Amino acid sequence: MQQQPILVLFLALAGITTIVFTYIFVSSKKAAQSEKGMSNPLKKRFWFSLILFVILSIFTTATLPDSPYYLFADETPAKVVHVAARQFTFFLSEKAIDPASPTGEDIELPADELVEFRVTSLDVNHGFAIYNNSNRLITQVQAMPGYVNRLRYKFKEPGQYDILCLEYCGMAHQAMRASFTVK
Amino acid sequence: MESIKLRKITSVWVITVLILFIVSITLGILMRLNQGEVISQSPVTFYSNLTTHGLTMIGIWFVAGMAAVNYLMQRYIKTSYAANVIALVFTVIGVLMLWTATFIGKFHAAWTFLYPLPFKEMGAATWATLLFLASLTVLGIGWLIWSISLMTQILKKYSIAQAFAWQHFKKNPKVETPPFILISMITLIGVIACLFAAVVLLVLFYAEYFSKGNFVNDALLMKNLTYFFGHTIANEMLYLGLAVIYELFSEVSGRPKWKTTWYVALAWNFTLIFVLTAFFHHLYMDFVQPEGLQIIGQLASYLASLPAAGVTVFSVFIAVYRTKIKWSLTNLLFFIGIAGWVIGGLGAVIDSTISNNIVLHNTLWVPAHFHTYNAMGNVLFSLGFFYWFSTQFSENSKVSKFTTLTLTLLLIGGIGFLLAFYFGGADSIPRRYSIYPSDFPMAAPMATIGATFATIYLIAILIFFFNIYKRCLKILFSPS
Ligand code: HEM
Ligand SMILES: [Cu+2]
Repeated sequence: MQQQPILVLFLALAGITTIVFTYIFVSSKKAAQSEKGMSNPLKKRFWFSLILFVILSIFTTATLPDSPYYLFADETPAKVVHVAARQFTFFLSEKAIDPASPTGEDIELPADELVEFRVTSLDVNHGFAIYNNSNRLITQVQAMPGYVNRLRYKFKEPGQYDILCLEYCGMAHQAMRASFTVK
Repeated sequence: MESIKLRKITSVWVITVLILFIVSITLGILMRLNQGEVISQSPVTFYSNLTTHGLTMIGIWFVAGMAAVNYLMQRYIKTSYAANVIALVFTVIGVLMLWTATFIGKFHAAWTFLYPLPFKEMGAATWATLLFLASLTVLGIGWLIWSISLMTQILKKYSIAQAFAWQHFKKNPKVETPPFILISMITLIGVIACLFAAVVLLVLFYAEYFSKGNFVNDALLMKNLTYFFGHTIANEMLYLGLAVIYELFSEVSGRPKWKTTWYVALAWNFTLIFVLTAFFHHLYMDFVQPEGLQIIGQLASYLASLPAAGVTVFSVFIAVYRTKIKWSLTNLLFFIGIAGWVIGGLGAVIDSTISNNIVLHNTLWVPAHFHTYNAMGNVLFSLGFFYWFSTQFSENSKVSKFTTLTLTLLLIGGIGFLLAFYFGGADSIPRRYSIYPSDFPMAAPMATIGATFATIYLIAILIFFFNIYKRCLKILFSPS
């Protein structure tokens, strides 16, 4: 999914950086006493900064619209799921959850339709991260006490999805999980 | 007289930092071994070690940068020896309190101690939370005194406009602000700002603790404060290291000193603004945070990289490219450290893109990139200073035969250790998991590989330590 290209991009950039630094280091090692170093450094610095600025601007304009806050913002969800996190479980329900005696139920969601998760926490901060069938993180949101975060998503593939806690919440954080199915 | 005292306290800082570093790396290796299921610790032990590791590391590399800046600042202005001593005493006491809270009290809310977790821990002693908060208070006060003292000393010699190098925006400025002073000033402002945020944060924690439930904090506000403090201090300590590089890189390379020009002044003034607003990227996944702040978070994170790359990195390139310079362990560490800083920065910029963050946030990608610019960046800046400092006062400054060995082990160990994190992050493996669920079959083997490479890194640090500690002790015990 999205992670693979990110890793490739990073490794490529890290590789280029390493090559540039090595090249510059070697050029110093090989330099004769009389050599003058970089010619026109001010001009080169200017172009270097300008190109970097342009690249960054392109990246910003290209990526900002994909931010989760804008995804499906003007659609109406076909289904709403209430989520309450508590050390160290998740309660998922199609009805509103009573904080005093939270209960959850098995959740089945339609494929290709917009789902909204209304996520909160009953104690500390937790994370609500959805992993697909092949254990890839596909989306996430925080579960914060006193606030409700709305996460919208359209599941394309039917199957079982896992929820892992992605905000450190104490001694059993690593075991805090739940799941639901998409049909 | 004064400078001999400063020399001595600086060598105490160097030795203290290195010893605490060795302990903290060991904790890090133990964590990786536990995640690799080579050893088996209880989750509470693992998480309290995580807390100790994170906070000790942040603490020592912050004070290492401060000690180096304080030492070099003596070249331009008179600094307060008393403030330096207070900081040392408070740091040692603070760390001992912290370690008591974590090792004995089993406090384990991680280095960000995100509200309200410190109040809702299971498996920790009841006194541990208060002792933990007290330890941060002690550290915070000591560091605040130190940084305010350094800043006021700068302002005794330079006006505010000069300290920010604003006169360099005009042609032919009458006074030159040395780059070192400019960067120190910019950095100290950021440090003071984030330490004040820490004070507010701690007061709010205390208020809730002592009100016994009558006063309850707002979780979103507390999170903003936490990351304003945490993100900013972690960034500023890097800039302390850069101040040292601006001062020493050309000097140890036998090249003319770097000068402040209009673009250097501009870049660092901008850096101050960006670094104080970039922390919003820690709250991208809190959708209730106002949207404008989220956008500011991405813009500031992106823009922060411009002056850094265009001025600092480029200046290093200019100094080195096709220029015969004297290479020593000091400037090699600086040079490699700059490369590590850039590469970690690339990982950070990728993560600070909101649409990427949604699949990277709190995965191993996060420790991957921040360990890159710390363990292979900022740490090397400080080690470079330590080495330079240790050789300042000894007769025989013969080139150490350990240079190549140290650097080779550092590079192999560091890169292997980091790659295990990056691949883990790209594999969606969560950070801060004491052991990994069976959904991630590669997670444990990768952790063990990470631990192995980290051990190589540790060996490099040990060699470095045994190389310089005798010289530092000699400085410390030489007759004044
Ligand atoms: C080779 C040396 C090091 C090793 C082996 C190491 C190991 C680790 C490990 C295993 C973790 C936990 C990762 C996880 O979330 O699963 C961690 C977290 C961390 N490390 Fe390191 N580390 C090293 C160097 C450093 C350095 C130089 C710093 C300097 C700032 C640092 C700062 C941190 C911080 C702030 C955390 C996060 C703690 C938290 O999640 O609360 N580490 N490290
Ligand atoms: Cu949780």
